[in-house]
Amino acid sequence: MSKLKAIAVGLLLQTALTGTLSAQALNGNPLSDVRVRQAIAYAIDKDTIIATIFDGNAVRADGLLPAGPFKSPNLDPYSYNPDKARALLKEANWDPERTLEMVYYYDDQTTADLMTALQAELADVGIKMNYHLLTGDVGATLSSIPADPKGKSVVTWDLGYGARAAMVMQEYFNDYATGKASSDAYPGSPEMDALIAASNATADQDGQIAALMAIDEKINKDLISIPFYNIPLQVVESTRLSRNGEAYGNEQFNYNWGVQNWTIEPDADGKTVMYTNAGPQDNYFPVPWTDLGFFASNKLTFAHLLFAKGDLGGVAGGDLAETWTVSPDGLAVTFTLRNGLTWQDGTAITGDDVTWSIEAALKYPTLHGVLANTFNSIEGAADYIAGTAEHISGLSVDGATITLKMAKLDPNVLAAFAQFAPLPKAQFAGVDLTLLGQAPYWQHPIGSGPYVIEDAKFGDYASFTPFEGYWGGKAKIEQIIAFASQDGDKNLVKNVLAHRFDFGITKVTAEVKTLKELDFVRLTQLDIPYTRMIWVNQYDK
Amino acid sequence: MLTFIIRRLIILIPTAIVVSFLIYLALDLTPGDAVSHMISPERTADPAKLAELRQKLGLDAPLVVRYWIWITGVLQGDFGYTMTGGAPISSVLASRLPATLELSGAALVLSTIIGSILGTLSALKRGSATDNILTVVGMIGVSIPEFFFGLVAIMVFALQLQWLPVGGRLLPSYSSYWDHIPNLVMPALVLSIMMTAGVMRYARSSMLDAMGREFIKTARSKGLPEWRVNLLHGFRVALTPVIVLVGFRLPMLIGGSMIVEQVFQWPGLGNLFVTSVSNKDLPVVMTVALLSVMVVLVVSLLIDVLTAVIDPRVRLGT
Repeated sequence: MSKLKAIAVGLLLQTALTGTLSAQALNGNPLSDVRVRQAIAYAIDKDTIIATIFDGNAVRADGLLPAGPFKSPNLDPYSYNPDKARALLKEANWDPERTLEMVYYYDDQTTADLMTALQAELADVGIKMNYHLLTGDVGATLSSIPADPKGKSVVTWDLGYGARAAMVMQEYFNDYATGKASSDAYPGSPEMDALIAASNATADQDGQIAALMAIDEKINKDLISIPFYNIPLQVVESTRLSRNGEAYGNEQFNYNWGVQNWTIEPDADGKTVMYTNAGPQDNYFPVPWTDLGFFASNKLTFAHLLFAKGDLGGVAGGDLAETWTVSPDGLAVTFTLRNGLTWQDGTAITGDDVTWSIEAALKYPTLHGVLANTFNSIEGAADYIAGTAEHISGLSVDGATITLKMAKLDPNVLAAFAQFAPLPKAQFAGVDLTLLGQAPYWQHPIGSGPYVIEDAKFGDYASFTPFEGYWGGKAKIEQIIAFASQDGDKNLVKNVLAHRFDFGITKVTAEVKTLKELDFVRLTQLDIPYTRMIWVNQYDK
Repeated sequence: MLTFIIRRLIILIPTAIVVSFLIYLALDLTPGDAVSHMISPERTADPAKLAELRQKLGLDAPLVVRYWIWITGVLQGDFGYTMTGGAPISSVLASRLPATLELSGAALVLSTIIGSILGTLSALKRGSATDNILTVVGMIGVSIPEFFFGLVAIMVFALQLQWLPVGGRLLPSYSSYWDHIPNLVMPALVLSIMMTAGVMRYARSSMLDAMGREFIKTARSKGLPEWRVNLLHGFRVALTPVIVLVGFRLPMLIGGSMIVEQVFQWPGLGNLFVTSVSNKDLPVVMTVALLSVMVVLVVSLLIDVLTAVIDPRVRLGT
């Protein structure tokens, strides 16, 4: 029923929207005129840019959603057509003396080259554009919006180049809702709000696909944002390493990767040691609720209630939870923990640990958006956050079973619990939950995943050894050494060449080119939901 | 002299405070804060929660208030906690300082020994092919940036010849202090190249100056062997300005290895400083900066005192 409803709303709105878009500026900002935005899209030769600047290591995107089941067949590609761009600008009375300001936040050479190319291509059709790299409070600079959607823009930029790395597909679009502070700089519309609501109103995948496609088609038609390209993820592995048939998946998140079953050729001393990156660069281990699957400790040390499938499109099985249920209306969810689970210090994992973790996460300021959305949907969450209730009323524990009563349906509730790592409540006694990330616990966290943190030299490496009590069996690789790095490890190629790198990921074109030449490296390309795009500031100016 | 030292020590603290405030002010003028760096631009976060975090971390207070809280803590021996991870800064320094001192100390010793020897040799062979070659080498050492030498060294000694590790300092398999010496060799040598060139040029000038003095002629007229004239009379005198130069370089022990630490993944203070600036973790940045300022000030005082001790013509406090 919910599926039908979502499809119906999507189709209805799509039909209603046909021809409603005004071919004129909607306010004092010429970028609010769809013809100008279309001209920008036609002026950009995406294919040539991908073939040259990105060396073919990107896939042209006509919509925000990645290739696969979510990709709509009805998207206009806005193929490179500078003549059409010029005609549209003339029709829109574009002022050739106006200079657009483009901002971006990637500090690599590829992006600098891209900006030069975009500047030239836009100039070719009569649009002046300057660009500069954002530093400092990038999020606020990109996402600040006026209180009134019809008010004046509170930022100076006109075009923003950036990306969305989505865990669930709704993440691509939820920020386009009216009044949502976001880098898309779209003032919103009732039609878009309805489409977004429809995409969040069903847990049924077919229903979600239809609703999400409808939004992507609207964005494509109105060019609310200009999708540019998808970058595939490259899994970098040494030929020493064997997954023994375990699945590949979106390594930026958590999934059923079966790391405990991986093996690696022994070194000269007969010891099996795997080298990776994403060890702690700073003087603490990160809370695994922000960058869910990035850091080595997040993936190795912490278990989750469920396992996601490799493409994150559903549940592959239970991790800490042996069984789980979702009521037909999606408003009651239960998880039953496996028997005999323990934290890595030997204490029992209880339902209280899970419910405490959910409550703690709601107070944690940098909680991942998808998890925040799920936990905020639990009955009583608002009162708990407001401080009028000590606990979330919709959370209860009966033995090993945790029950969640949802105030509203959350289509991604199971996906969230495949990423959410419960923490041991006893370790956080007296800790201010807003400052949870600063608790002494993060100097040497105790988790429930397949590997225990053995030792850490912050800024140098972290060492992991198998957790004997992991429910999925003791891991086969004797030691994992994670060298310290942040997102975008600048030492990746260097370490690979020095044969001290067995597993990691990259999206960097230059690195992929080098790594492809090495016969002791295995690259596995994965299409992930990672779309680079140009945001267009349509607020009044 | 005692009065001079006491006076300088008294001036030292307000100087450090003024300098640290200027650094704090400059850092505060750069956009963003620690909280804005906790969130990737590719994700969104609840602005209300971020505001609450800012308030809890004291980031919403005016600049002067924040500085006052920090400096009064420091004056009481409390360096505070890192903003991003909450670790006590004293323990962070304790874990990172040895790595930097080890690297910079090794580079300082190497550059002093090699630079003094080569500079002296260059002076004694003045105008010869050796002198010209060493002069050119010295110029190259001064002119080419450290990161370039670093990358070339990695290419040759780590990746091609595989004699030395590509980077890092420690590994779990290292059981004794000496195990990680191979990790130290390349960054220390690279860091010492530029420093060696400077010492070499200075030692050459100083040696040439010394060898032109009257006492050298006297020594020769007494029939002393040339090696004794050179080493015991010339070199010893020429060494004094070199020692002063080395003294001035002591502050580099704290802040001089930043680039090399980045290139060689060396987990020292330089690496910490760069990461902390990037994360806008002001308490860490300020503590490292203050440490550098204090070293500079204390070393300046020590050099003044040592110069006065070595050379009686110098009158302190004038």
